[in-house]
Amino acid sequence: MIIKLGLSALLISSTLFATSDMSKWIRPNEVPQPKDNKLTKDRIELGKLLYFDKRLSASDKISCATCHAPKRGWTDLVPVSKAVGAGRGPRNSPTVLNTAYLRRLFWDGRAKSLEQQALGPIEADVEMNMPLEVLIPKLQKIQGYVKLFNKAYPNEGGINNKTLAKAIASFERTVLSTTAPFDKYAMGDTKAISKKAAKGYKVFIGKAHCADCHDKFNFTDGSFHNIGLKDGDLQGKDLGRYNLKRRAAWYGVFKTPTLRDVTKSGPYFHDGSVKTLTEAATICASGGRYKNGVKNKSTYIEDRHLTQTEISQIVAFMKTLTGPDMKLKIPTKFPQ
Amino acid sequence: MKKIVTTLLVAGALSVTLSAKNWVVNQKGKTFIPSKLTVHVGDTITFDNSDPFAHNAYTDDEANEFDVGMQPTGKETHMKIKSKESFNVECAIHPNMLLEVTVE
Ligand SMILES: [Cu+2]
Repeated sequence: MIIKLGLSALLISSTLFATSDMSKWIRPNEVPQPKDNKLTKDRIELGKLLYFDKRLSASDKISCATCHAPKRGWTDLVPVSKAVGAGRGPRNSPTVLNTAYLRRLFWDGRAKSLEQQALGPIEADVEMNMPLEVLIPKLQKIQGYVKLFNKAYPNEGGINNKTLAKAIASFERTVLSTTAPFDKYAMGDTKAISKKAAKGYKVFIGKAHCADCHDKFNFTDGSFHNIGLKDGDLQGKDLGRYNLKRRAAWYGVFKTPTLRDVTKSGPYFHDGSVKTLTEAATICASGGRYKNGVKNKSTYIEDRHLTQTEISQIVAFMKTLTGPDMKLKIPTKFPQ
Repeated sequence: MKKIVTTLLVAGALSVTLSAKNWVVNQKGKTFIPSKLTVHVGDTITFDNSDPFAHNAYTDDEANEFDVGMQPTGKETHMKIKSKESFNVECAIHPNMLLEVTVE
């Protein structure tokens, strides 16, 4: 199934064509989909219901949308999320926007697909706190869901871990950025962004080296870095990807986030410790929050000796990566 | 007869040594070039880095495990094919980089 990207996006991908040095910013023609979970209307609609259904949590009060809310940049706008009960998750809630294009999910990249990712937060005690061996029978008792699962995934055993993950992943794959002012600029409309933002773009791809990581259409190359947010070594702190495997290069590294719709999804970084884009850009382009003594600080993080003016130009540019919210009808009635 | 066998053995050993090849894989534009290789046990792979930033090639495949560590621009690293098992090489920084190595 081809996802409708909206008229303006279609215009961009087919009618016009980009100048060569701008082509890498243009949206790929297709949304990546796994062979065994191609997008269909039934799957997307089912996934949407599940995404917004609070009965997927132990308390019946939290859905995926609680921490990844469409009106809050598909995140929750707090440093770290409130969980079921009193706890808080250890990391900033990442946006769902354009996750279809990512090959690693979660801040530490521990999931290789949205299907792998989808069930994690449901079971996590600091998130929805709902063991699948409780959730699956709970959903199986809801006749409306039984019908919808059989329709969306015929011959896949009805409601089970796999079909649940596939359905939620299908909806998430449709959460896509819309045409932002920079997209029009990239297509040759020189007036689509301000002169200040255009200067910011040059600094972004040049002197500041932002595009070394915030690269291509989704403004991330999917790379992992330790950007020096914490002092010294990380004893007792979040070790990031190093938790998956004790690989030296993974010590304290986290995923490069997308910059699409970035104005909607603060606070920033894996620990949500930064409120403004100015501060975020300053940290990245000045060699990290802590310049020296950070164990395994990324060699991509260096002091680029930017002026205040250049930082503000970069911020003006980043603001042009925000487009209008995608069209979405949030379900109000759920299967019974 | 014994002599012939010995000669054959020596010749066989020689041909293995002589045919061990070094393959060069460049890391450029955050991709491995080439992205697929067919090699033999005993061969070596040299990794170049033409990008203006670091890469870190590795595999978790047990039989041919290696990790070249952080490889800055212009530096060369090497690995040797130890076992007849095909494997994938990734970059520890850029998981989107993939090199498929078929061992024959
Ligand atoms: Cu790399």
